[in-house]
Amino acid sequence: MDSKSSDKQNGFKDEPPGNAPNYSTVSMADVIADDFAFRITTRTGIEDLVDSIEQLGLMHPPVLIRNFPGYKIVCGFRRIAACRHLGWSRITARVLEKTADRLQTVLLAVADNALQRSLDLVEASRALNLLTDACPDQTRFRKAASTLGLPFNAAVTDKVKKICHLPRGIQESLVAGTIGMSMALALGELDQPTGEALLGLFDRLKVGLNKQRELLLLLKEIARRENCAVQQLIAEKPLQKILLNAQLDRAVKRQKIRSYLQQRRYPSISKAAAHYAKRAKQLKLGDNINLIPPRNFEDTAFTMTLRFNTRENLNDLKKKIEEIIVHPAFAEILDR
Amino acid sequence: MRISKLFINKQVVGHPIAQSIRIRLNVPAEIVESAGQVYEAVSVAADPIKRGKEILYLDRNRGAFLKKCPGTSHYTCCDYQILHIGTFCHMDCTYCVLQTYFHPPVLQYFVNHEDLMAELDTVLSQKKILRIGTGEFTDSLIWESWTDLSSMLVRRFATQNHAVLELKTKTTAIEQLQNLAHNRKTIVAWSLNTNQIIRQEEHATAGLAARLQAAARCEAWGYPLAFHFDPLVIYNGCEEDYRQVIEDLFSHIAADNIAWISLGTLRFPPSLKTVIQKRFPGSKIIYEEFITGPDGKMRYFKPLRIHIYRKIIEFIRKHAPDTVVYLCMEDEEVWKKSMGIILDDVGGLPKMLDMSAVRHCKLNSDGISLTTG
Repeated sequence: MDSKSSDKQNGFKDEPPGNAPNYSTVSMADVIADDFAFRITTRTGIEDLVDSIEQLGLMHPPVLIRNFPGYKIVCGFRRIAACRHLGWSRITARVLEKTADRLQTVLLAVADNALQRSLDLVEASRALNLLTDACPDQTRFRKAASTLGLPFNAAVTDKVKKICHLPRGIQESLVAGTIGMSMALALGELDQPTGEALLGLFDRLKVGLNKQRELLLLLKEIARRENCAVQQLIAEKPLQKILLNAQLDRAVKRQKIRSYLQQRRYPSISKAAAHYAKRAKQLKLGDNINLIPPRNFEDTAFTMTLRFNTRENLNDLKKKIEEIIVHPAFAEILDR
Repeated sequence: MRISKLFINKQVVGHPIAQSIRIRLNVPAEIVESAGQVYEAVSVAADPIKRGKEILYLDRNRGAFLKKCPGTSHYTCCDYQILHIGTFCHMDCTYCVLQTYFHPPVLQYFVNHEDLMAELDTVLSQKKILRIGTGEFTDSLIWESWTDLSSMLVRRFATQNHAVLELKTKTTAIEQLQNLAHNRKTIVAWSLNTNQIIRQEEHATAGLAARLQAAARCEAWGYPLAFHFDPLVIYNGCEEDYRQVIEDLFSHIAADNIAWISLGTLRFPPSLKTVIQKRFPGSKIIYEEFITGPDGKMRYFKPLRIHIYRKIIEFIRKHAPDTVVYLCMEDEEVWKKSMGIILDDVGGLPKMLDMSAVRHCKLNSDGISLTTG
C-alpha cells in the first residue's frame, strides 16, 4: 500500500486542486517595493529578520500577486525588504494569478499577520478596510472578520476603520500607547497642526486618557471662547513656561497646566473658589473641622463636619465654632 | 423651515381639522397607523432634529390638554398652566430645549379640538385665576397659517373673567388676532433677544424690529402684552445690546400695557450641549461659564446671573418702574440679590403674576382664590 492510499484510509484528503499553491522563484527586480495596498504590519524594522534569514534562510515564502510586468506583495513586506538588504537577486514566493479571488488574497494578507500575533489598532484598521472593500456581503464579512480575530460589530468596525486614515503622527502615538483609540479619533477630527500640537503636549506630560480628555476639552473650549486656535494656546508663553521649566517634575507640570487652563476656561468660578479658599484659610479651621461650600457655589447651604473623640474635644470645637461665627472672613464667605 | 411632508394618524384622517390642514398645507401626505412610524421616518435622517421640523404629524392628544408647567426642582416656578396644543417648532433656535425634550422631536399638532375645548370649559368653570399658555412645548403662533385655533381660544377666553391666555411667540403671525373680540383676556407675548442672538442663534425667527412692530400692532388692537427675555445670553457686549433692545421695546410699547416681563438666563440639560455642538458648530453660547445646578441643568455661574439680571432690571426700570418683572426658574438668593425681593414677603411669584393678570386683563378676583391660595 502506498502512502497516499494509507492517508485516505486514515481519513485524510488531498488538498483541493484549486487551493494548491504555486511557488515560483522570481526576480527581486520584478517585485514592486512601493505598493503597500496589502500591507497590514506597522513594523518597519528588519534587523531581526536579516539576522534570521542570513542564518536559517527564508523559512516562510512571501505571497505575491501578478501585476504585469511585475508582482505586488500580498504578505511578507519585511521578509522581502530583509532579502533585498542581504543582496538577494531572486526569491521563492507563493505566486497568485492576477485573476485570484480578491477576498482570498485579502484573507491571506490579513491572516499572515493576524494569525501569528495580536494586531495593533492601525493594523486592525488596515485589515478591516481591506476586508470591507473585498467583501461587501455583511454575513461573509462578519464570518471572515471573526475567523481572523478582528472586530465585526458595526459600531466598533466603523471607528476602527477610521484609524488608518488618521495622520501618521496620530497613528504612531496610538501604536506607541501614548493615546487611546477614542483620543486618536478625537484628534483626527481636528486640523493636523492642532492634532500634532496636542500629541506633543500629551507626550511631554505623559498623561492618561482621562487627563488627555480633560486637557483637550479645556483647550478646545478656551479656543472657542476666545476665538483662537488650540495650537496657538499651547504655544503661548504661560503654558510653555510651565512645560519647559526644568525644575518641575511631570506631575507638578500636569497639575499646574490643568490649573492654569481651568482658571482660563472658568475665570469667575476660579476666582470665587480662590476667594473662598483664602477666607477659609483665615478661619484656621484645623484638622478637625471641615467646611464645605455649596457645590459650584449654586446652593446656599454650607456643610461643616467635626471630628472628635471625647467631650473635651467637642467642647474645644464648640469654642472654635464660636470664634468662626464672629470671624469677619466667615461673614465674607457667607455673603459671597 | 418649510414643511415638506404631512403624516396623518389613521384615526384622525377624516377629522375636519386634519382635512383642513391637509388642504392648506398642500404637501405630500402619508397615513400612518401610529406615531412610531413617524418617529422611525424621522430617526433615520442624518439630522433627525432638522427632519422633525420639516414634517408635520397630525394626531389626537390622548392625554390631558392642560398641564402644569414642568418647572424644575430647587428653583421658583410661576405656576403656569400649559395648554398642550402640539409639540416642537419649525423655527430652529440653537438653544431650544425641545431638541432634547422629545425623543425624537417631531412637529406634531393635535386636531381633537373638541376635547381640548371641553377640558378648557371644565377648567374655566372653576372660576380660579389662571394663567394659561400655549407657547411652552411649541411656539403659540407658528400654526396660524394652517389652523384657526388661536382665534378660537381668544374668543373662548373672552367670554369669561377668571383666566388669561398667553400666546407666546417669536413670529409676527398676528393677522388672525385682528378684529377678534378678545376682551383683554389674551396676552400676546414675545420672546425678545438682542439682534446678535436673534441673527446667530434664533434661526428662521422674526427679527427684533419685526417682533416689536407686531407687538405694537397687537397693542393697537387692544391686547395686553408680555415680553420674555429668556434666554438672556451672556457674551462680550451683551449688556449694551440688551440695553438697546429695552430702549427699542419701550419706544414701541407703553409700559402700562405690559402684564409682565420675564427674565431667565440661558440654561439647558447637559445633553443639549452635544446637540448644539453637532447641529450648530459655529455657536459659542455653550462655552461661557456654566455650572451644573442642583436640578442637573447647566446654568451660568450664579454671580454672573445676578449681575446680568441687575443690569437688565436697571434698564427696564428706567422706562417701566411699575411693570411686573420676574425671574424664571431662579432661587431665593438670586431673587433677593438681583431684585431685592423676598418672594414670601409678596405672597410668592404666582400671586405676583396673578395680581398683574387681574389688573391688566380686568379679571374678576372677588371672592375667588388666586393660584397660590
